[in-house]
Amino acid sequence: MRGVGQGTWGEGLRYFLYPLSLAPFPLPLIVCFGLLVGLVGCGGRSEPTVKIGFVAPLTGDQAPQGEDMFHGALLAVEQAQADGEILPGYRLELVVLDDQRNPTQAVSAAKKLVADPDIVAMVGHLNSSCTMPASAIYHQARLLQVSPVSSNPQISRQGFDTFYRTCATDDLQGPAAARFIVQDLKAQKVFVLDDMTTYGRGLANELIRALNALGAEVLGHEGITQADKEFTPILTKIKSLNPDLVYFAGMFPEGALLIKQRQDVGLGGYFMGGDGLFDVALIDLSGSQAAEGVYLSTIGSDIYRVSTARAFVQAYEARFGPVGAYSAYAYEATNIAIWAIRKAGKPDRAAVLAAMKTLKDYPGLFGPQNFDEKGDSLIRDIGIFTVRSGRFSFVKIATQD
Amino acid sequence: MTSLQLFFQQLANGLTLGAIYALIALGYTMVYGVIQLINFAHGEVFMVGAYGALSVILLCTAAHLPWPVVLLAAALGALLLCGGLGGVIERIAYRPIRRAPRLNALITAIGMSFFLQNALMLCYGATDRQFPSLIPSVRWDVGGLSFTGMQLLIWGSSAVLMAFLQVLVMSTKLGKAMRATSQDPVACALLGIPVDRIIAITFVIGSALGAIGGLLFGLYYGTINFHDGYLMGMKAFTAAVLGGIGNIPGAMIGGLVLGMLEGLGAGYLSSQWKNVFAFVALVALLLFKPTGLLAERVAERA
Repeated sequence: MRGVGQGTWGEGLRYFLYPLSLAPFPLPLIVCFGLLVGLVGCGGRSEPTVKIGFVAPLTGDQAPQGEDMFHGALLAVEQAQADGEILPGYRLELVVLDDQRNPTQAVSAAKKLVADPDIVAMVGHLNSSCTMPASAIYHQARLLQVSPVSSNPQISRQGFDTFYRTCATDDLQGPAAARFIVQDLKAQKVFVLDDMTTYGRGLANELIRALNALGAEVLGHEGITQADKEFTPILTKIKSLNPDLVYFAGMFPEGALLIKQRQDVGLGGYFMGGDGLFDVALIDLSGSQAAEGVYLSTIGSDIYRVSTARAFVQAYEARFGPVGAYSAYAYEATNIAIWAIRKAGKPDRAAVLAAMKTLKDYPGLFGPQNFDEKGDSLIRDIGIFTVRSGRFSFVKIATQD
Repeated sequence: MTSLQLFFQQLANGLTLGAIYALIALGYTMVYGVIQLINFAHGEVFMVGAYGALSVILLCTAAHLPWPVVLLAAALGALLLCGGLGGVIERIAYRPIRRAPRLNALITAIGMSFFLQNALMLCYGATDRQFPSLIPSVRWDVGGLSFTGMQLLIWGSSAVLMAFLQVLVMSTKLGKAMRATSQDPVACALLGIPVDRIIAITFVIGSALGAIGGLLFGLYYGTINFHDGYLMGMKAFTAAVLGGIGNIPGAMIGGLVLGMLEGLGAGYLSSQWKNVFAFVALVALLLFKPTGLLAERVAERA
């Protein structure tokens, strides 16, 4: 009798606790998924909608950059909504998902997007390691993907005609940084660190190739693990090699700790990184004093110095505050997706893709935007910034030529 | 920098992280000692300590108090918060199922870990939080080695806490009751030792040590994230196993050894193989000495 009673109680308890069984999934994901379902529900009933998907890390350590991207995309969508219907009789909607900079989550987000037939274009992701596997899913579903900032050159070499990106790539960034290191900073001995991601390792390899070609000496190349916090052993080792410059190809959370601990172990010389470090959180998290004099390269020029971007900067600052490193690219990518939908004239993935192929001299933030046959932007400026008085300050444009 | 200096510098680096591992490992090993439970929620308790300390620091710096006062207040705040949390977890999550099969308690511990992790994320947000650098950043260069004030604070405070714990366990009545409970709770109850209270106190002390670990972790790295507790908890658990789980000096030594192994592995082999190096060392040790470095008790209690 007791056994039966227990069973019934157990059954009851299990139903009661059922929602908790989602606990292994991060809550924001559930919230985002709920949001998605909610949006689908609301949109579907009232009037027909055409949707643009957006995926970036919105939780986790890289959320500040993901949020900058989200704000850029949101601004573009809001402005398009304010301009009226982009297709006659259709409402425009942004479907927002979180990939937590995790390739597995990126793939599951991509699968969710392609499963919704109302989604005719997508903007994202942030990290090359996420964009890489997701791009294959978008390609298979014939869904237009405009990636704002995933800069690994291999992504566009997969031959996917669904893939476009609005930033410069790391096979430009690496050599540009190498020229700056050798010619401007006159550094001859360089130690290279990366975060072992698609982006970090790819950028580090491009940099090392260019450094070797310029005759600089690469003292060593090592990887660190993302989300690790203890870098004093590797920095102590680097200190014993006495390099002129340490280069880190990775993102700002690890970059900030490297910069902070570099000061702790007393490692002198220059410190430089790629666009992944370009976030004010780098300066905050490392302690502003330690970040002074750090250099970094970016996959585009300084948005505050581009005359064609002035209206965007004003609108963005009025709505969200200072423009983030990746905000402009997400704005540009979303606007291009909206342009392609308008041009297609109907909410159809194939038509949007066909329309995208006709894009020529799109009046973008950084000037007339065009794409090569791989889908890479022909605007190929690499900017160099440094940290001065606790702020990023623009140094120069280090272009390919 | 000569190679000998480099070696000692790497050892010192490893010792810093190792001291934090050791503080957390003590929580695992004490709880295992009394009720043979791997308390997987302990890594999250450590993180609660870090966030609790951060809250206190933000409150106190807003009141413009001098930094030693802020530091003490943060330590005290984290200590009370986590001690209380440890007691509450024991009372509501583990005590009701203490007589159930051991697997139930293990799964409850994992569930508690998820619960605390998500609770932290909802309370403090999912992004990295900056931990104010309270300690004035000072660096001494002694004989070619460099030490920071933060490192000295970590070594000093963990040494004091471990000595305190050792005295508590070995030479007080409470410590004697804890040791007796870990040997045979039924006989203890027969002799009038309040076993439930002793177990609760063990949780409170273990969690409080984790809280100080959390404060030191936040101060040392300057950023904390809600999921940092997972990795640190795993490492500390490893340290406890390395030293011999259930053995208090073992956890201290295990933590220091693991930290130094990681430091030397990253410094001499390759930083990308750091974790592999530490875990290979653990596996190798357990192959030859399955009880860990110091464990005295092998036989499982019925």
